Amino acid sequence: MKTLIKLLFAGTLFITSCKKNIDRYPLNNVAIENYYKNAAEVQIALNGCYAALRTTLLEEWQMTELRSDNSIMGNPGSTSVPNREKSDLDVFVPSTSLASVYTYWSANYANIRNINTLLNALSLNYDEAGGTLKRDSTSVIITDNEYKELSAQATFLRAYHYFNLVRLYGGVFLIHEPYTGANVLQAVNVNRSSVADIYKLIIADLQYAAANGVSLNYTLFAASNSGANLGKANAWSAKALLAKVYLTLNRKSDAIPVLNDIITNSGYGLITAGLTPYADVFSVSNEMNREILFAVRYKAGGIGLGSPWPNTFAPELSGTAVVNGDGDGFNIGTFELENTYSPADARKAFTLGVWPTPTTAVTSNSRRLYVKKHITPVTLLDDAENDWPVIRYSDVILMLAEAQGYSLASLGLINQTRARAGLGAAPLTLTNVPNDQRFADSLAKERRLEFAFENVRWFDLLRYKTTLPAITEDAVTRMKSHFATMFTNHYAKYPSPAPTLATIQGYITNDKLLLPIPQREIDNNSHLVIPQNPGY
Amino acid sequence: MVVIDGQITPDGLAFINPGDVESVEVLKDAASAAIYGSRGSSGVILVTTKKGIADKPKYNFKYSIGQKREYKRYDIMTYAEYVTMLFDEMAKRATDPTVNQATNTVTAGDRAAYIIENQLLGQGVDWQSESLRTGTFQNLQLGISGGSKSTKYYISGGYQGDEGMMNKSKYQKYNVRAKMDLELSKRVKVTINLNPSYATRESPAQNFTNFWRMPGWLPVRHTEATAALARTNPLQANIKAGDYAHQRHFNGLNYTGTMPDGTTWTGNASAGGSAQQNPRLEVDRSDINTNEYRLQSSVELNVNLLPGLNFKSLASGYLNYSKGLNFAQRNANRDGDLNIGIFTNNSNTYLLSENTLNYVKTIRDHDITALFGVTTERTNVVREQTTGLDFPSDDIRTLASAAQLDKTRSFGTKAIIGLNSFLGRLTYAYKSKYLFSTSLRRDGSSYFGPGNKWGTFPAVSAGWVVSKEKFMSGINWLSNLKFRGSYGATGNNRIVENAWVDLLYGANNPAGTATGNSTPGLITLSTIIANPDISWERTFQTNFGMDISLFKNKISVALDVYKSKTDQLLLQQSVMAFTGAQQYWNNLGSLQNTGFEIEVSSKNIEKKYFRWSTSANLSRNKNKILELGTEAFLLNQGERAEVYRNQVGKPLVEFVGFKTDGVWLSQADIDAAKAKGLTSTLPAVFTPGGLKIVDMNGDNVLDNNDRTVLGNPYADFTWGITNNVGYKGFELSFFLQGSHGGKLVNGDPNYNESGRLIRTYNSNRWVSAAFPGDGKTPVTRGTGFNWMLTDYVVEDASYWSLREVNLSYAVNAALIKKIGLSGARVYLSAQNLYFHMASNYRSLNPEGRFQNGPYSSVLIDGYQRGSFPIPRTFMAGIDINF
Repeated sequence: MKTLIKLLFAGTLFITSCKKNIDRYPLNNVAIENYYKNAAEVQIALNGCYAALRTTLLEEWQMTELRSDNSIMGNPGSTSVPNREKSDLDVFVPSTSLASVYTYWSANYANIRNINTLLNALSLNYDEAGGTLKRDSTSVIITDNEYKELSAQATFLRAYHYFNLVRLYGGVFLIHEPYTGANVLQAVNVNRSSVADIYKLIIADLQYAAANGVSLNYTLFAASNSGANLGKANAWSAKALLAKVYLTLNRKSDAIPVLNDIITNSGYGLITAGLTPYADVFSVSNEMNREILFAVRYKAGGIGLGSPWPNTFAPELSGTAVVNGDGDGFNIGTFELENTYSPADARKAFTLGVWPTPTTAVTSNSRRLYVKKHITPVTLLDDAENDWPVIRYSDVILMLAEAQGYSLASLGLINQTRARAGLGAAPLTLTNVPNDQRFADSLAKERRLEFAFENVRWFDLLRYKTTLPAITEDAVTRMKSHFATMFTNHYAKYPSPAPTLATIQGYITNDKLLLPIPQREIDNNSHLVIPQNPGY
Repeated sequence: MVVIDGQITPDGLAFINPGDVESVEVLKDAASAAIYGSRGSSGVILVTTKKGIADKPKYNFKYSIGQKREYKRYDIMTYAEYVTMLFDEMAKRATDPTVNQATNTVTAGDRAAYIIENQLLGQGVDWQSESLRTGTFQNLQLGISGGSKSTKYYISGGYQGDEGMMNKSKYQKYNVRAKMDLELSKRVKVTINLNPSYATRESPAQNFTNFWRMPGWLPVRHTEATAALARTNPLQANIKAGDYAHQRHFNGLNYTGTMPDGTTWTGNASAGGSAQQNPRLEVDRSDINTNEYRLQSSVELNVNLLPGLNFKSLASGYLNYSKGLNFAQRNANRDGDLNIGIFTNNSNTYLLSENTLNYVKTIRDHDITALFGVTTERTNVVREQTTGLDFPSDDIRTLASAAQLDKTRSFGTKAIIGLNSFLGRLTYAYKSKYLFSTSLRRDGSSYFGPGNKWGTFPAVSAGWVVSKEKFMSGINWLSNLKFRGSYGATGNNRIVENAWVDLLYGANNPAGTATGNSTPGLITLSTIIANPDISWERTFQTNFGMDISLFKNKISVALDVYKSKTDQLLLQQSVMAFTGAQQYWNNLGSLQNTGFEIEVSSKNIEKKYFRWSTSANLSRNKNKILELGTEAFLLNQGERAEVYRNQVGKPLVEFVGFKTDGVWLSQADIDAAKAKGLTSTLPAVFTPGGLKIVDMNGDNVLDNNDRTVLGNPYADFTWGITNNVGYKGFELSFFLQGSHGGKLVNGDPNYNESGRLIRTYNSNRWVSAAFPGDGKTPVTRGTGFNWMLTDYVVEDASYWSLREVNLSYAVNAALIKKIGLSGARVYLSAQNLYFHMASNYRSLNPEGRFQNGPYSSVLIDGYQRGSFPIPRTFMAGIDINF
């Protein structure tokens, strides 16, 4: 009996200690509900939102550059799934279940959730009816300056994502609060918003970021905080993006003062000095220079922050000749783009490389025009240093030209980027650009050459119909011409049964300028009918 | 769940040496499994290992050796055969007025490949043979048992060597098992178990699929002829015979040669174009080795406190530590690759303390037992991976000599998982005729958040042994008749740690001047959102059973019927992706399983020398979703966005896709359909020779609304029959087994490499309007809707197989005594001698299923691609006792 009592006593001790055994908390991670307590923690969470831009960028070239006239899928005869899907995007017949259409969509919304979680902790709420942001009291320990600085960057990033989504998919889902717990099941009651409502949020976010972000001029900004601020979005980044939003909505009179403000007060400007000024804009020894208003940043060195683009864009099966670790051969340039550059244009040789050799005959089966612009040396696969520019100063001046329309002043702006590219000897004048149409075509051409492979061209093509109504070819016509130019060289090599030119030209319609809403998003909702974009 | 000597061993059946097993018991109904609580929800296998008996030492020696080979390979065309087929098809189309003759040709790449295989190599390369081999396996074991009245022991040592069917795949294990039963006093007994083992595992760096999909024209290594051809590209001037060949070596070269139709062709072409590396090179240049150290140990203390009252305390530890190195030599994958060493250290430490009080009392005809117990389990999981790059030589493989560390491929995680349980059980039997038992178990799991940790699982059961009733005593032919019934609940907590709390994960970002500095960042998880209320999944199962034995146990039948309802299903529910995540942890819905199992065993003949017995089983299970909360259905996508639907009132998983009606026979066929108003918004639906979608809803528009159910992965019934025939010392047994009515989605035809070159997918395919083949096999896949799920890729997973044949001979007892042995047996056995697959099944293994990535979800099931061949094994062995 004594033994029994001893055992029972031991048992009681055991039971009390055992509650601890099942009260386990994460050992590797921090819980969201315990985070965002002070400014330092909000800063770290914000760094994560910047890091996630690298994920959305992964598919972006397929949604933009590949669908434009700058680039083709490098391997037309391939029947492998990922290659077929790229071909389908290239000729505007993406299945609504296409993997990258969904991956791009979900990556953007994943970071919107990060941003919404952060803004929710700061109690910066968006009022849908008023289209305004409202700052409520927050329990985060933070100074007013820190609050403005951090929240302005977060709203900038949210606007960046929605601006890309609305231009690619049309009226998407307007989500400005984070989903947590059982709340996530209520998402089936949310339907798509109108394009106008999405832009309302974008403009509110960017106006907030412009008003509350750091507005030091470039020189002071680069020096502030011991240089640690470089790479973060400031008021000028927000203004440049806001101007592009206004231009996209054809609100030229709203865009002009914003652009002039940047030109006059920001301290940002064109890189014109040196022997290779255009190349210097993208140089790894000149990152975040005064021309870069915003960029997605990469860093080499085996720390997981490197850029995959050299290996992604280098020609397939080029071994170590172009870049260490071979290339995937994606985002291959068109000879149509190559021919658009004048021989004197310094941007041509920097933007496009020719594989196998610079002298490979244009008729050769194996000739590839690869995106040299994004290729820097790598030690490790997918681990390059070079940043990806999102908005450059040259975009600011060319946007101003677009907003102002045909005028001597506008031609002067275009001449700035042309001169920097080594074309100063042949400036555009009112004589050689005598009318609206020539102006529209010249500006579109200049933007195409200046921003080739920066995921800008496709958005430009979508916009010109309203901002440059005199343009010779609208987006649909342009793409039909592109198909015709590239047909023999590329599209005729699609796997049997190879399509005819008429078939491929028939694929592109005004409806197909938008991507489909991912089928999964429609299938997943058994409560609401989610309308698919017309034409799909 | 597998329990070895009272200790839960997750990988138990793989881990234990068959020679050490004394007995195996399977608990299926909820009441008997209830005592194991959460872990017993899908049944319990109890393994008892051998122990010593008080006698002089006895020795047991076992040895077996065998070989395994693939039952069946893919029927792959050589490339020359494929190109010959293309030329034949081209000729068939040549006279067809509806064919655009400008495009009726064989591509330059295929012609180039033909020249390489037919004229440079002479024959196609069999890439399957570059991966597969005959694997030899052997098993050696020596056991000793014995002891005195107070001390008994069983000790065994063994070696197991197992070569896989793929090159560079090998497993070797050395283990010792020691079990001691000590009677310390009349009241105190102790059992000690120690089972250390050491194993090494080697794995190939490339899977089988990456071998068989290599085209036959690509040599493994360059011959003089292919090297000379490759050198015509100045960038490849260094290639010489004997070097590994890659498809890229044959790009953009000038070819001249004779075509299958006798013409001579000259042109500049790329034979392959695939960036896929030569898989043989990757396997040869990479070494993936793991060393596994395990120790399973336990001490069980039994104290008799009072008459009938026993206290038992079991403390056990299961340590599993593995240390691996995955080393890839320079240029193992892509040219310019540095050598890479991935060092892994993983440990699982599982500790269990189980304390029970057991009371047994018999009062005349009443047998009563009562049990109360408390158990605590804790599992510490540590996983670490460190990757080093740029070693000075491929032969120096220590982390310290790596020139740099690769942070992207390095990580470390830790987790501690706890489970606390209280359990009680009461049983009562009257004259061993009426049996009752009831039990209650409460489990608390660290997988769930505060307030949701505990689950309560009761069970009751009753039995009636009718044959023991007086009124049955006159019926001689009935040896045993028993009815039993039970009702019980079990729980399931098998989810990941921290599913109840949303976490932030590291995501650093460079910021600042120059190339920036890495600054720390945190982001949310984009895959799944946590559910703070997540808790136990519960299964309530009702069982009725009957055992009958006839004619002095010559024939015995066991019949079980069950119905179970599982609610609060632990699911990764798909959610709208615009929430920022794909899934949500949820306790959602309920699922019903109903079915029966019959087991019949019969001793057909029992003569002095001749024996024949048969046992057979048949089982059937049907599942049905009863409800899904507010949802009518859930949809989930697999790797090719093929859709799996979970709908209320239907089986758990159904394939949803397009029904097809053969292929479009001609453009005229399409035009006729279009003339009747048929349209479509889907890409590439109207292609001559492409699959023809059925307009299911009859609206004359082929679109996503025409998708319908194409089948489900569940078998209608499964069965097994074993026959044993003996004559004197000889014994022959054979085991047949089958499964019928299940369907699967075969991903292979949707992939170009397989769809093009494997005969089961390309023979009788559509060529032209005049040569439509069988009218069912599409000419080309991989465009538009052909990527979507159609019934063309839904196949019958039914099969039956001669699983095992065993012939043994036990040496005559009198004879072996003379040479000092107590028993000796030799045997031969074979597995999978015959495997019958359904006629519309086109791959290698109808049991193969993808289980990773999206396929790890219980809401997705039944997909296979590039299935690995079924092994057919032959084995010989000997058992000696002395």
